[in-house]
Amino acid sequence: MPDPRPPIIRFDQASFGFPGLIALKDISLTIYDGEFIGVIGPNGSGKTTLCRAVLGLLAPVEGHLHIFDCACDELRCYHRAKIGYLPQKGVVDRNFPVTVLETVMMGRYGALGLFTRPGRKDRDIAMEALTQVGMDSYRDNALGQLSGGQQQRVFIARALAQQPKVLILDEPTTGLDITTQHNVIELVQHLHDELKLTVLLITHDINMIRSRVDRLVLLKTRLFAAASPAEVLKPEILHQVYGKELVITDKDLVIVEDYHHHH
Amino acid sequence: MLDLLAYDFMQRSLLAAAMVGGLCSVIGVFVVLRGLAFVGAGTSHAAFAGVALGYLIGWPPLLLAIVFGLATVWITGWVEERGRMKLDVSIGILYTTTMALGILFIGLMKSYNAEVYGYLFGSVLSVTPEELSIIGVLSVLVLGLLLLFAKELYFIAFDQEMAEASGIPARQIFFLLLTLVALTVVISLKTVGAILVFAMILIPASTAYQLTHSLTALTLYSATIGILTSVAGVLISALWDVPSGPTIVLLATTIFFIAVFFSPKRVKRARLVHSH
Repeated sequence: MPDPRPPIIRFDQASFGFPGLIALKDISLTIYDGEFIGVIGPNGSGKTTLCRAVLGLLAPVEGHLHIFDCACDELRCYHRAKIGYLPQKGVVDRNFPVTVLETVMMGRYGALGLFTRPGRKDRDIAMEALTQVGMDSYRDNALGQLSGGQQQRVFIARALAQQPKVLILDEPTTGLDITTQHNVIELVQHLHDELKLTVLLITHDINMIRSRVDRLVLLKTRLFAAASPAEVLKPEILHQVYGKELVITDKDLVIVEDYHHHH
Repeated sequence: MLDLLAYDFMQRSLLAAAMVGGLCSVIGVFVVLRGLAFVGAGTSHAAFAGVALGYLIGWPPLLLAIVFGLATVWITGWVEERGRMKLDVSIGILYTTTMALGILFIGLMKSYNAEVYGYLFGSVLSVTPEELSIIGVLSVLVLGLLLLFAKELYFIAFDQEMAEASGIPARQIFFLLLTLVALTVVISLKTVGAILVFAMILIPASTAYQLTHSLTALTLYSATIGILTSVAGVLISALWDVPSGPTIVLLATTIFFIAVFFSPKRVKRARLVHSH
């Protein structure tokens, strides 16, 4: 059955990487407006490459990628500003001297374009984004002094300040404690529901997102599956990517079987 | 001291020092934050090779300094972008190559040329009215461009890829920053000299870095420190008859260490350690 929502991102037999070193091969995938997509796959499976492609930072070496009905290598600054991005933790220098509000204001810069200074309206948008992630009372704090979970919230607010249509999060829960991980995912779901954002969430934590996403995209250089969690989380599908040690428990948890316990 | 201020040469050098001090310390903020500290050092030596070549073949030294400086930063930026080589390695190679060229050019000169050494060690007290107007025009140009692209420059210093992803023409802004660094170095050559200009770019911004968590405050503090130390350095050097370049730099370094010692960031960190 065709999806009634308009497509927003369309990969058409697209490959990414360099000749001789292909990170993603022959990807055909359509993402619809307002979808919540979880992207899973082992380390080095091309998840971050997929992100960078959707951000318009990488053109396909073969095939096509359309974002907002626009070939990705013809993406204008205006388009890029419509995609909010939370990079993998550790990419950003956490000791950079910047306050929380200054960080979030950066989300406005791309949308404003060159030669335009951020004004009161941009400040209001930034403050609203901070309120949405529950960090408005920290606006004048130094970014570097916040906890890992709080920093992630601020970076999500920075992405929201772009007033994006699409939100891409690259392993947003890595390095956070288990409660904070849960809170961050909860926040992402809330933003998806409230702001009708299309969300691409890259994660290793299949169990945490399986009940929340519309579709799971399973990658290992090639696209192994892009369907509802119930259809993707089957042993025969997961084994192709993760190996035979992965099992699904009677409570539907995906775990790695530890043979040492059995012997 | 007031008699001293009545001299034309003194007024010129104070003005030159204030402009160069302000300019270096403002661009220094972006250099420190973007991790381009060593680029400043490499560029100043390349620019000096340009000056030496200018004197050797009878071309305007500042023009060749700009050519050499720009060539160095653009090659550096290109190498970093391609990810072929670590930035410090490529700068290290260019740095020593251009320095070798500079020494070679000086060696090829038939006679001893004191003016060349002025560019190496700085001689702010001998700034001519023409040089002052060149410094003035270039300073306005560089500061104007920094101001015009301030928000983009901050963003690429924070995270270039994130900036590009959110619609900033990040590559172009990065090359603009490199170009402005090269121009700043050339503007400052006559005042603080090729060896010490690097310190003027690095130290005020690093001092301000100790004192604040805000980008705006960082820039303001850095500019204030840069201008004050430069002006004070020139006054001290005229009063006590010591070379101006080292005086400015040593003054800035002293303030840097005081700032490190009293840094609110450091104090806070110490408290955190004690409370655990």
